[in-house]
Amino acid sequence: MPNYLSNSKPDFKPYTVDCGEIKAFSYKKTLKSELSSKKVGKQECIDMLEDMMMIREFEEMIIKLRSGAYPSCAGFDYRGPTHVSIGQEASAVGGCIGIAADDQITSTHRGHGDSIAKGCAAIRAMSTDELKKRVPKSKAKGRKDLLEAVLEDHIFKTCAELFGKEAGYCKGRGGGMHIADFSVGHLGANAIVGGGVPIATGAAMAARYKKEKTVTACFAGDGAYANGVVLESLNWAAMHQFTNHLAKGNKFGLPVIYLLINNHYGMTGRADDEVAGVGCLARRAVGFADNNMHAQVVNGMDVMAVRDAVQTAAEGCRKGKGPYLMEIDSYRYYGHSLSDPRNEYRMREEEANWKAVDPIDTFANKLIKNKVMSAARYESLKMQVEERNAVAAGRAAKSPDPEAIDVIKYMYTDGNSEEVPAKHQKVKIVKEEPVIERDAEGQLSYKDAIKEALLEEMKRDGRVMIYGEDVADYGGAFKVTKGLLEAFGRDRVFNSPISEAAICGTAVGAAMVGLRPVVELMYMDFALMASDQISNQAAKWHYMTGASVEVPVVYRAAVGGGKGYGGQHSQTLETMFAHMPGMIVAYPSTPYDAKGMLKTAIRDNNPVMFVESQMLYGFKGVVPEEEYTIPFGVADVKRAGTDVTLVTWGPAVHDALKAAEALQAEKVSVEVIDLRTIVPLDIDTVLDSVKKTGRCVVASQCISNASFTGEIASQVMEKVFDYLDAPVARIGALNGIAPQSHVLEAAFLPNANDIANVCKSLM
Amino acid sequence: MADAVILPKLGQTVEESTIVKWHKSEGDDVAKGDILFEIETDKAVLEVESFFEGKLLKVFAVDGDTLPVLSVVGYIGKDGEDVPDQPPAAVVPATPAPEVSEKKAAAPKVAVAPVASPVAKAAAPVVSAPVVAAPVRLKISPRAKKLAVSKCISPAGVTGTGPEGRIVVKDIVAYLDSYNYDDIKISPSAKKLAVNEEIDILTVKATGLGGRMVIEDVRRAVDEKPKTMTKMRKVISQRLTESFRDVPHFYVTVSVDMTDVLAFRQEVKSQGGEYSVTDFILEAVIMTLEEFKPVNSMTDGTTVTWSSSVDLGLAVGLDDGLVVPVISDSGNLSMQELHDTVKDLATRARSGKLMPDEMQGSTFTVSNMGMFGVDNFNAIINPGESAILAVASTIKTPVVKDDKVVVRDIMKLTLSVDHRIVDGTVGAMFVNAVKEKLEDIALWETLV
Ligand SMILES: Cc1ncc(C[n+]2csc(CCOP(=O)(O)OP(=O)(O)O)c2C)c(N)n1
Ligand SMILES: [Mg+2]
Repeated sequence: MPNYLSNSKPDFKPYTVDCGEIKAFSYKKTLKSELSSKKVGKQECIDMLEDMMMIREFEEMIIKLRSGAYPSCAGFDYRGPTHVSIGQEASAVGGCIGIAADDQITSTHRGHGDSIAKGCAAIRAMSTDELKKRVPKSKAKGRKDLLEAVLEDHIFKTCAELFGKEAGYCKGRGGGMHIADFSVGHLGANAIVGGGVPIATGAAMAARYKKEKTVTACFAGDGAYANGVVLESLNWAAMHQFTNHLAKGNKFGLPVIYLLINNHYGMTGRADDEVAGVGCLARRAVGFADNNMHAQVVNGMDVMAVRDAVQTAAEGCRKGKGPYLMEIDSYRYYGHSLSDPRNEYRMREEEANWKAVDPIDTFANKLIKNKVMSAARYESLKMQVEERNAVAAGRAAKSPDPEAIDVIKYMYTDGNSEEVPAKHQKVKIVKEEPVIERDAEGQLSYKDAIKEALLEEMKRDGRVMIYGEDVADYGGAFKVTKGLLEAFGRDRVFNSPISEAAICGTAVGAAMVGLRPVVELMYMDFALMASDQISNQAAKWHYMTGASVEVPVVYRAAVGGGKGYGGQHSQTLETMFAHMPGMIVAYPSTPYDAKGMLKTAIRDNNPVMFVESQMLYGFKGVVPEEEYTIPFGVADVKRAGTDVTLVTWGPAVHDALKAAEALQAEKVSVEVIDLRTIVPLDIDTVLDSVKKTGRCVVASQCISNASFTGEIASQVMEKVFDYLDAPVARIGALNGIAPQSHVLEAAFLPNANDIANVCKSLM
Repeated sequence: MADAVILPKLGQTVEESTIVKWHKSEGDDVAKGDILFEIETDKAVLEVESFFEGKLLKVFAVDGDTLPVLSVVGYIGKDGEDVPDQPPAAVVPATPAPEVSEKKAAAPKVAVAPVASPVAKAAAPVVSAPVVAAPVRLKISPRAKKLAVSKCISPAGVTGTGPEGRIVVKDIVAYLDSYNYDDIKISPSAKKLAVNEEIDILTVKATGLGGRMVIEDVRRAVDEKPKTMTKMRKVISQRLTESFRDVPHFYVTVSVDMTDVLAFRQEVKSQGGEYSVTDFILEAVIMTLEEFKPVNSMTDGTTVTWSSSVDLGLAVGLDDGLVVPVISDSGNLSMQELHDTVKDLATRARSGKLMPDEMQGSTFTVSNMGMFGVDNFNAIINPGESAILAVASTIKTPVVKDDKVVVRDIMKLTLSVDHRIVDGTVGAMFVNAVKEKLEDIALWETLV
């Protein structure tokens, strides 16, 4: 029984769409009223001021470092980006104070402020014990001193990361543009403009699924709001299915607050008159949600206004009213980076106008005026902030660099989910499980083997969820997921919009916070729509954070080659992802392997590009009913031989076996090796075989030009040259574009005969 | 096929030259002898003439370019002929390398205008054009090669049956079988030596007990192994092959009665004069060369160039090889100076201290084997010269003098002559003129 059958009727009665209103600058409260209504405490005000001052001090240090004018780092040569956010401190601090200490953020290439603010907000909320844990070596006693030590340590670790030091938050692997501290809910700055937005969305989706009250605040600039993946994410977050009848018992909007930090410039491109068609960027929300995502425009130079708006949004999120979008109207005093003198595109008068409402000066004056603190206290606070930064930066500059030998350490994790935490072992079967029947010989089709793996893993671990285009009621374009919605419900199996980048990017965010998404890309060709999310985000975060996060996602991508679907539906692209360090690339050739490898992929804590062959979906093979998994990086010798080693993977394995059979009749004995995963690559099995046979042919369905077959050929030549009795040969699809014509496609793809001929040419 | 225009190598030490100015542009018609361009070396500005007739089809260098000598700077050929778009890599290493293959020896085709003649003369003998066929690379798979090495055999004789005739493992195996390789008994030390010395054990005769191959057998094979020639031997080999093949030699022999000159030499010696027999012979030759223009000339087959100075080469034998130091402008030397020069050159030749320029530019060579007890011999003309004089040992011989048989010190001189420029009569006159001088004591009394 399908879960949900639509039944609409045409209805062309005229009506008017009411786009609602977006309020701008509606915060009218005074500090006095906030204090008297106890909406804010005095100390909290001073803390916010101090946090803003810390950010400014830190970024002014960066400017000074560039000219060698920061005394405590004299002689230190800072190399790296200089994207300072001076002028925007109120949005960082207001944003991070407005959410709870254990809420989450994602940030941007201009993220020092967000990073410092999130850390400070979390630190100030810590218990004494928690503080102690952050500075185990400190001799500080009493909460005040301890807090000071932890704040100094926070600046130290931030600086050290900026300076590429081992002591940095990400061990110097990420730097300022990729800084993250998962211990305080900082899910990472992102040097890809807009790249963090689907991650925040995915993290919010995970919170919704886990029914945790965590809110994610997503910082991104005006520039980012022209980027496809950002718009895809907004659409994603507002999907009706999260809140309507389809959500059944979990009607809960995504708890995400999109903080659109409008500083009026991309790098130099102007949101105002130039590269956008709306006067108010908050209008973006109108296109995606009937409730306009509660959009409003907030004075980003007023920390109290930002705090207030974000607080309200966070409260709403916790009630399931998310997502929220607010445009924070702000300004950066400096250029995009210090190499940008900004006089080509804006006037100094404009800067002066904004500086006149400087978030720090205005707030400090208010605090003094309202007797929250004295002018003298402000002066001493300035000194304290300066001194703290100087000490921390000096320590960071002198701290050790990472060891060069460790340059590729942290690329992959050994982690996996062999142990499922007890709370995730309890899995609810909503209705009936799909029945997967074996034939009399105990065989399953490749497709059913994959489904069985999904079914078993979803039953085994409640953190595994499936989504993608059409995977729910319809069961996927190739019916691989048919029946899983019925078994597990729409919280765990749902249709996504046609947003490949958001599919892949939300999976990264969800994986970062503890889920294990298995997402489907239908045709592998569509993975190119999500290149950034797969290659820059999923693949890189473990390394870029110095191994402080793992990204256990599985991207299932089906190759359409052989069906006459033409150039955009037929590509064999695993080579592209093998070129992305951090990814695992698997391509099973049999039902047995498909099931065992998918189970391994789901349990592995590395991101996996799991390639499937549509041509093999109906291919049958024996799949035992007992539990088994197949380790990655272990090739399978499909057939032993003595004359030629035929290395292959994916559907080409079957052609290779046919070729071997044919060659047997000609007294040529072929050893066929199915690599199963090309990353990790089991080169030893290949080399041992070539040592024996002296000849090597590498076959795949990738076009040969720049294919992974070349990588294998090259390694064979490098490592066992003296054993070769003939040059290593390769065979793949012709170096062209897959044609639709059946005749042409047959000529395009390698077949058993072609493979046999290449083998023979070496004899 | 179009002819390459080559940046000439003018002088021994010139490694690169600058094209100062082209006189012709791409597309111009060129007659033989037309000035193509001017070049500047560290010594002078020279004009380079064309040796070819046709159209300047391609020019690779522009005015002001500095290029390695012997670079191809253009092509001359028939209108419309195909020429490469890119110059080939510099054809000859910049340092003088005798191992120049034929194609690369385009240098002789480059004419240099008369202004350059002193340099041209020096340059001419440098040119040699032996045909050294590039060794055919054995097509063998790495695996087969490894097996051959481990079995101590040379794969050179194996027939390849792999793709493109490559020798593959099964060919080595078949080859080994055909020699009953498995029956070969060899001592471990012999095998080790064979591996190290790359001795093909299939070619080694086993002399050990029961047909076992022992280390002595392999040592013998090592001694018999072809050894690469030294660089000097290769030069000798190439130059003399070229001369003997390309220069039509004929020979004229005379017997010189040395009795009187030897006595004269002893007399001078007793008065403290230190002259060798060679000094006398060389002086006689120098004087004669000044009389016989054609013998002090050289030819390239189409032109004859006479040299106004006698730059005499003296062949000096070494342990393994031969060098020919040159006594420059020898006609202007006194006997004493000649003696000193010869002594100095010979000593330095034997100790390998000669400068390359001291072995260039001779017009005639004397090869003296007097000290080796030879009755007579024929020498091969040094490339670039017209003749060489072979001096045999002086031997006490019964001869008829004044109708009486007497014992005299007789030495045979044989002149090898390039028949292209010197005919029999001149050759005969030349050797007899030398003979006469050596037998004329009155002459020596004026010289010493
Ligand atoms: C995908 C991508 N395109 C371009 C860039 C180069 N770039 C870095 S920052 C930036 C401007 C971003 O503007 P905005 O989102 O408004 O952030 P702001 O710099 O104003 O903080 C650009 C284009 C990038 N890092 N990533
Ligand atoms: Mg901006």
